[in-house]
Amino acid sequence: MTAQTSSTPWFLSFPGLIFFLGMVVLPLTLTAVLSFHAYDFNIGVLDSYTLSNYTTVLSDPYFLSIFLRTLRIALITTVLCIVIGVPEAYILSRMWNPWRSIFLLVIIGPLLVSVVVRSFGWSMLLGSTGLISKASIMLGLGPVRILYSEAAIVIALVHVMLPFMIIPVWTAIQKLDPGLEPAAWSLGASRFTAVRRIILPQISLGVLSGSLIVFGLSASSFAIPGLLGGRRLKMAATVVYDEYMHELNWPLGAAIAFIVLVANLLIMLAYNRMIEAKARKVLG
Amino acid sequence: MSFLTLNSLSKTYGNFTAVDAVNLEVSKGEFVSLLGPSGCGKTTTLQMIAGLAEPSAGSVMLDGREITREKPNRRGLGIVFQTYALFPHMTVAQNVSFGLEMRKVGRAERDRRVAEALALVKLDQFADRYPRQLSGGQRQRVAIARALVIEPPVLLLDEPLSNLDAKLREEMQFELRRIQQTVGTTTIMVTHDQGEALSISDRVVVMEHGKMTQADVPAAVYDHPATEFISSFIGKMNNIPGIALKLGIHASGVILPATDCPATEGEPAILSLRPERITIVPAGQGHLHGVVSARFFFGSHWLFNVDTAVGQIIVSWPNTDGSLPASQGQPVGLSWSPESARVSARTRETSRIDA
Ligand SMILES: Nc1ncnc2c1ncn2[C@@H]1O[C@H](COP(=O)(O)OP(=O)(O)O)[C@@H](O)[C@H]1O
Ligand SMILES: [Mg+2]
Repeated sequence: MTAQTSSTPWFLSFPGLIFFLGMVVLPLTLTAVLSFHAYDFNIGVLDSYTLSNYTTVLSDPYFLSIFLRTLRIALITTVLCIVIGVPEAYILSRMWNPWRSIFLLVIIGPLLVSVVVRSFGWSMLLGSTGLISKASIMLGLGPVRILYSEAAIVIALVHVMLPFMIIPVWTAIQKLDPGLEPAAWSLGASRFTAVRRIILPQISLGVLSGSLIVFGLSASSFAIPGLLGGRRLKMAATVVYDEYMHELNWPLGAAIAFIVLVANLLIMLAYNRMIEAKARKVLG
Repeated sequence: MSFLTLNSLSKTYGNFTAVDAVNLEVSKGEFVSLLGPSGCGKTTTLQMIAGLAEPSAGSVMLDGREITREKPNRRGLGIVFQTYALFPHMTVAQNVSFGLEMRKVGRAERDRRVAEALALVKLDQFADRYPRQLSGGQRQRVAIARALVIEPPVLLLDEPLSNLDAKLREEMQFELRRIQQTVGTTTIMVTHDQGEALSISDRVVVMEHGKMTQADVPAAVYDHPATEFISSFIGKMNNIPGIALKLGIHASGVILPATDCPATEGEPAILSLRPERITIVPAGQGHLHGVVSARFFFGSHWLFNVDTAVGQIIVSWPNTDGSLPASQGQPVGLSWSPESARVSARTRETSRIDA
């Protein structure tokens, strides 16, 4: 058609394009460039280029242990979210109003509370003088301190990530024919078998997409490990913050950020491939 | 000897009674239809038999054993759901095989019985397809095969044909009857389609507002409906209000004859007459005079609307030799044998003609 119509889409997507370039591509490019700059403790960022930031990070056991911890915490959080979230979504789907609305609100609740307030609440519960510790002392088991451990980070992450698992799974259950379970029962399946053989295979897509969100958000979480992990327990995002704000070694921080980004991207892309293959099989 | 018995089976939701003291005895091998309008409690009755809804009162007996509180997976009944409820992630063969797996039937026998069941419903070519790759009628057959392969004592069907288009529905009616007679399974089918119920069942049970109002062979339900509601729900019926006479009624200055006349003489009454029992005769003859106001062709028969002194009368005329008894606007006489008309006491205001 005319030149005007072919340029219209460009014109219309211009604001979005500017936004994307300015907010995503530009900072990422600058970070990438920065990660190759050399650094001197006395002078600061140098104009010369080097790969040493990457070799430092990838050969330093300190950083590698942080990457490993990040991976471990994200994995455990994801698994716990599946174990808790899937049954919860199933129960939710069998509830009638008003209970369903009430419980949905309870589940989404954590997202409505500021992360600082939420973490502060957890430290009051989990600290050495917290409620759990006091209960343990009263039971004669001595004080327990969960705060500033990986367990504390995982507990707080699971708490806030659960809605991201429950909602896609719940949506998947809602889409199923309500006659499926009765049909399985009538054929002799117990309640448990009906769920395992009939319901679970069909909501696996929901579980996989929920896991993707939970894993991605957990692996890059910053505030929760920062507030509940204490000074010693670093995760990827908090160590990047350290390099930038305390060490002032911006190129090294940029290199860590880039490694985490690429690793996260690789894991999620591989996972996504798996989901798509599964979707093709289930949905045809 | 009754094989399946419902003893004053009831279901209430809050203070709403969905099923009200239904009593029913079904013999072994019988095909019974539960017929009634939407919302009259047919599905609820079926679900109580299946164990999917808990009865508020009454009991269910199967082959002399009480199963009222038994779990659905212990009853072993075959159920075909309205939506078919096929397992979408399993092939046709896996769907049919599921019930046998639950019964721990060995691999070889399972394969043999699945093949048998699929042959019975003429789907042997489709064993490896997924439900989404099948047409509505084929899915229907898979659902039937899946329910029958476990050799259930009773087969329960909830509106099995309502999701099919008209042509397929008719085909599946005959198919359903053929399958049922081949395997001889006692069958209860829920339907709101009177034609379906009449054509394929041994016995029709009519339900109204949770109550069972008539249970009889199809011809008896059609010819001797127990209530006014049944007479208008099943088939077309001319209902003419008037005053009861010894043999017929008196309406708008005309005497309409009937022999089946239980109403008290002089009381308000209704004369019910099936459209196909009326003959169109030349004007001046017959019991009633009128003018043809409209004419409809249905292939196998014609329908005439005739305006008379007692209102509009519907007449059905078989298309046997292509000849037409009357054209639109033509004055005609209407005649019937008095044995075909029924008079009942008028209980409440009803619409005079119901389809
Ligand atoms: N779970 C329920 N809670 C409340 N009312 C119900 C429930 N299930 C069915 N009903 C009511 O019971 C009546 C009978 O329902 P149903 O047996 O499904 O009718 P049918 O199958 O004859 O159309 C309907 O009026 C329906 O609204
Ligand atoms: Mg129903």
